[in-house]
Amino acid sequence: MENTPINKSELTDSNDFQIVDGELLDVSSGAEIEQFDEEKTIVHAKNQKPKTKDQKPNSTNQKTYLLLPFLFLTVALLGGLRFSSPDNAFVFLRPALVCLIFAAILLFLFARANLIKLEGWFSEDFSSLKNAANASVIITLFAASVQVFNSLLPERGFPFWVVAFCFFWTLWNNIFAEFDTKKLIKSLGAMFGLAFVVKYLVLANLTAPANESWLKSLWENPAQEFFTNIFDLPRFAAATGYVQFFTLIFYLIGLFLLPNSTKK
Amino acid sequence: MKEKYLQIFGIALTVFYGLFVAWIYIAEPKNLTELPTKAQETIEKATTTAQVITNTYEIDRTKFNEGLTAFRNDNFLVARDSFAKADPENRDAKTQYYIAYSFYRQGFGKVSNDDELFKKGLEQVNKVIQLDKNFKSDDANLQLKTPVELKNEFEEGLKVTPSDFNPLKVFRERK
Repeated sequence: MENTPINKSELTDSNDFQIVDGELLDVSSGAEIEQFDEEKTIVHAKNQKPKTKDQKPNSTNQKTYLLLPFLFLTVALLGGLRFSSPDNAFVFLRPALVCLIFAAILLFLFARANLIKLEGWFSEDFSSLKNAANASVIITLFAASVQVFNSLLPERGFPFWVVAFCFFWTLWNNIFAEFDTKKLIKSLGAMFGLAFVVKYLVLANLTAPANESWLKSLWENPAQEFFTNIFDLPRFAAATGYVQFFTLIFYLIGLFLLPNSTKK
Repeated sequence: MKEKYLQIFGIALTVFYGLFVAWIYIAEPKNLTELPTKAQETIEKATTTAQVITNTYEIDRTKFNEGLTAFRNDNFLVARDSFAKADPENRDAKTQYYIAYSFYRQGFGKVSNDDELFKKGLEQVNKVIQLDKNFKSDDANLQLKTPVELKNEFEEGLKVTPSDFNPLKVFRERK
């Protein structure tokens, strides 16, 4: 290889205003090029990324396709579970229609606040399998959201309508508010936390124990008996509150781990 | 693990766990010990439904024979229970006819019939007519061979007529 430097003064003299700053390479034979390419290939092979960095997408996939559906379906399983008092028998409550509506609004909010980027979850560029796997994760998220509302809404009576109205009011306002992911998570955390306190601390403490006779209960806990009857409060065992606490925690962990896109 | 396999495994996990959750909410077990019983019931029901769909449904002969023995010994409660177990899908006209007949025999009285049992019997015999309107029993012990005759007996038994006050009525025989 022979380098021939260009003389700038020569170019200026010939009235050519286009100045090219560079070097001309004089290539003489093909054998040298082959040798150069081989060397380049060897260098490229040595510069591979470390293994730990390559494994990161795999762990992300495990989280997205295995851990998240597991978490969300566990929430779906536990969200409707109550323990009857006093025998602690399982009571599985199916969600009311309003829970499905709230969950649909919530998913819309997730998309609006970029917690889920739809184009990052469903795309024509993805394989059918990936789209199907992503759809299954989103379906589990919807099921979990339905069951979280089922868990936090009082079962019946006046408190059901009051809390349902509060949920609706908050979600409806959020639809029109300026949002980012952080604000949405904070808002949801506050809303769910307050609903949990109302149902499992305030209303639960207003409920009279179930294992006593009506007369005895009226004598010993007149206020509780009054509120239980006036608000039509269901009498569940204390274990219900503990299970629903962890259900809510699992849901929030799931939201925290949820990637907004599955694009690499 | 390759991304493709992870996705397949993820879908499979979602489907199976999702079905389990749905099943739990349908079966509504009261405690953990009830889970196997509920699972067995669901499997039996699914098997029977599959047999109906594939047109291979058959009644449980052993249970049917147990029911027949109880029926002939005038143990009608046990008979009905066994017949119901023999034909869980209520699709066999013969078994359903025996259930209807058991209501007739149990409700029959020389002085007055048991109206409650006769009403149930009437409902039951209507089911038999829906299943097979040309049904005819081959049991020599049954005097009422067809659902129409049995239906007439129920309807007459439920009506209050002047003949009900006929003292000679006590000599009539159960069919």
